[in-house]
Amino acid sequence: MRRRTFLQTAALGAASLALPRAARGMGEASRIAIGQIEHGGRWNPRPSALRRLSWELAQRTSIDASGDGVPVRLSGPAVHTHPFLYLAGDGAMPPLPDADLGVLRRHLQYGGFLLVDAADGSDGSGFDTSVRRELQRLLPASPVTRIPREHVLYKSFYLLDHQGGRVLVHPWLDGQFVNGRLAVVYSQNDLGGAWARGQLGDWEYDCSPGGEPQRESAFRLGVNLAMYALCTDYKDDAVHLPFILRRRS
Amino acid sequence: MLAAATLAAAASLLLAWRGLRGESSRGRRAALLSLRAVAALAALFLLAEPALRIVQTARVQSRVAVLVDRSRSMNFPVEPGGETRAQAGARFLGASRAGLDALAADAAVEGWGFARDAWPADLASLSRPEPGTGGATDILGALRGAAGGSGAPGRRLAGVLLVSDGADNGALASGLAGKARADLLAVGVPVNVVAVGTDAPRDLAVERVAVDDFAFVRSTITVEATLRARGFGRESVKVVLRREGQVVAQATLKLEPGKEVYQVPLSFAPDTTGTFVLTVATPVLPGEAVAENNSRSFVLRVIRDRVRVLLVAGRPSWDERFLRGLLKQDPNVDLVSFFILRTAGDNPGPQDQLSLIPFPVAEIFGEQLRTFDAVIFLDFAFQPYRSLDIERFLPNLREYVRGGGAFAMVGGDQSFAQGHYAGTPIADILAVNPAEGLGETSEPFRPRLTAEGRRHPVTSLVPGEAANEAAWSALPQLPGLNFTAPLGAAEGARVLLEAPSLLVDGRPAPVVAVREVGAGRSLAVTTDASWTWGFVAAGDGQGGRAHQRFWNGALRWLVRDPSLTPLQIQPDRPAVEPGDPVGFSVAVRGPDYGPAPGATVVGELFADDGRVVGRAEARAASDGSARLEFPAPAPGAYRVQASANVPGTPPERAAAAVSVRSSGAEDSDAAPRPELLRQVAEATGGTFSTLPRSGLPELKLREPEVVEVGRKQDVPLWDRWWYLALLAGALSGEWVLRRRLGHW
Repeated sequence: MRRRTFLQTAALGAASLALPRAARGMGEASRIAIGQIEHGGRWNPRPSALRRLSWELAQRTSIDASGDGVPVRLSGPAVHTHPFLYLAGDGAMPPLPDADLGVLRRHLQYGGFLLVDAADGSDGSGFDTSVRRELQRLLPASPVTRIPREHVLYKSFYLLDHQGGRVLVHPWLDGQFVNGRLAVVYSQNDLGGAWARGQLGDWEYDCSPGGEPQRESAFRLGVNLAMYALCTDYKDDAVHLPFILRRRS
Repeated sequence: MLAAATLAAAASLLLAWRGLRGESSRGRRAALLSLRAVAALAALFLLAEPALRIVQTARVQSRVAVLVDRSRSMNFPVEPGGETRAQAGARFLGASRAGLDALAADAAVEGWGFARDAWPADLASLSRPEPGTGGATDILGALRGAAGGSGAPGRRLAGVLLVSDGADNGALASGLAGKARADLLAVGVPVNVVAVGTDAPRDLAVERVAVDDFAFVRSTITVEATLRARGFGRESVKVVLRREGQVVAQATLKLEPGKEVYQVPLSFAPDTTGTFVLTVATPVLPGEAVAENNSRSFVLRVIRDRVRVLLVAGRPSWDERFLRGLLKQDPNVDLVSFFILRTAGDNPGPQDQLSLIPFPVAEIFGEQLRTFDAVIFLDFAFQPYRSLDIERFLPNLREYVRGGGAFAMVGGDQSFAQGHYAGTPIADILAVNPAEGLGETSEPFRPRLTAEGRRHPVTSLVPGEAANEAAWSALPQLPGLNFTAPLGAAEGARVLLEAPSLLVDGRPAPVVAVREVGAGRSLAVTTDASWTWGFVAAGDGQGGRAHQRFWNGALRWLVRDPSLTPLQIQPDRPAVEPGDPVGFSVAVRGPDYGPAPGATVVGELFADDGRVVGRAEARAASDGSARLEFPAPAPGAYRVQASANVPGTPPERAAAAVSVRSSGAEDSDAAPRPELLRQVAEATGGTFSTLPRSGLPELKLREPEVVEVGRKQDVPLWDRWWYLALLAGALSGEWVLRRRLGHW
């Protein structure tokens, strides 16, 4: 009896090996991995943020996102394997070397996307001043401007009206355009802080002043940012317009 | 000297008169003066030595030319169902022979026939009612020809008798004005006109068709047809525009009495590219004089203005992002994209806060499919959309490709075998075999060009085989692949790029493969990382052009970009006159897209209804060019299909179209123009009359030339004896009288 059950279970186990497994992408390279830039300041203030964002992307959309953010050195060889780069910081950041800026500039000009996130919620000090200085050096021909309300970023997946992060320094986003495409997005509202989720499943930081709805809008913004990085102005195509207008009104 | 003598005579007369002042008797004075005068005159006469010149002259017989119109317009009946204009003219000439013979005394009557040019003919043959054969009517040219003349040199043309219907399509086609009038008067001969046929016959004709030389596919073009209707009351006529037998547009024309010219616009939107012969046609109404001018054909080239591409992606990915970016930026591409942003298992929240739209399966794979030049499936599996009935449309996609469309499948974990395409209609058009269960890999590998891939335009990154291989080798390794089995040449497939380190059934797995499916083409790229050829390669310092070059070449090959087709055929002229042979020039290129000398080209000429009416063969010269000639076919629209056999490749085909005109200008306008003939007669000083009439009308002719013939004869008058006697007598008489009267 025991042998039979053993053999049966073994047979079932062997059979299960032959069952087609749910495909998970053709290796890690197929999945969307966000590269996190290492810089001279505190470059990883929210270690769990990108993992949670990837999880939310997988839950809510058809994007096949990989887990953690991948640390990327601008001086290293792997910059271009990550078309989506994330630059976070807490406090001042030393100036980036010219060579690194050149690499980043080429990355953006060839079609890359950069999300800059101020974890300290600074405005006019700390990370904010450092980053604005660096962005000015990065793309001198493209000033950092407010992203207009009608930009496709706000309808690339969710129809977004308001946005925030862990804090609400400004209810808008700044960005830099390259050839008409939004290449850099800068949020001063600490999106990573809203996304961060501890190992035990609790949110690491509270969002103020909006609370949980503000966190939800932070995730929606993250989804929209990923969608924009992957689909660019797809939602601006004429076929979508009637639907979007109807939903908005 | 005569002046001096006259002065001397006058002086002597004056002196005599002065000398006679003393004489009282008037009679004596008068007698002496008169004697002196007579003497002076006689002396003058003798000094002047007058003489008489006698010249013998003759009147030269001039020519009268009888010009008879021998063009095809003379074949039209004078009245419906009656005799033709040619017959009426011949009958008139026969009846006028007597009158013409009477003229022969003063003038030589010459006969001339004319149409496009003039030729001498004898009157007997002109009096025979022969049908006209000339393809054009040039009255001014004929007059010049007759005036130049083949008669005896020096004989002037005194006048012309013109028998014609006046349907001139030469210099006088637009009437007698300006230069035409000056040229006519320069001929300098009175033209006496006998106009044949004064009523326009009942006729409906497509006079002219105005259209651009080329049109863009799927864009509406308008063909402006000009119709001429004579002799009709209120009637409705259907005007159709046909392309190779099929009606593509039609309109109804309402004829009104009194209105002759009508403009009919016909619009249609061509749905395929190519060169086509189109025909504007009206039905032949009862009682029409000419049936051939009820249709007119022309050649239209339909080209694509932008390549319309449908990109369907099963999920957002970097491959999708960079391919969309590339196609969006290309000004020659009109991109329509549908990306699945959310699958059934995803849970994003309430629908009304999303910008998502339903995936319009029925629209894009149903009616709209035909409007695309190419369809790309990128990481797209059809099974999740079964609820949208997508399986019903898979055969549509297969027929679309077989009918000339283009299809590409790009890899990912929802494509090829993973997408369970084996056994579906899609498998019939895929360039590889997506056998079930083959799986995928995430092992990095470096792809390699196959022998065919080295020369093929799809995998040509840079010109030159060696440089191309080097360019491919320099690209970064590919991180993953869908395993598929290659298809053979028997299915029309070719593997261009393969993975030598990854084997399927002992053969390297295909990475890029192409296939000819019916009239269409298919491409398979079994990796989802072709984007690395651009973005990642740029990071390696090579420049990111490989991705763009690959997809540009692939798209152009898929939609059969004309510059890439190996066989090209062009007619010498898109429209030829009836009776002229039809010729085409052909350019043949080999599989390496260089010229293919020695290749045999076979061409078949198809008529409107699909019958083969001609066949021709040629061999390509050293530069790959050849000529195909067909003997003159009957009027109509023809399509030529050429195929070239270049050793080592499947036969290539190309097509062109040509139209043979059914009616020249002579046949399309059947109306006579008596008012033009009247103007010609009036301008040149001739008479105008119309048929029917009995006998010759009055002919206005130039006066015959008078010409000197024979020797001159001078007869002197002054050396008669009695002039001298008169002088002597007058002088002596005066002397005697003076003595008598005592003056001396």
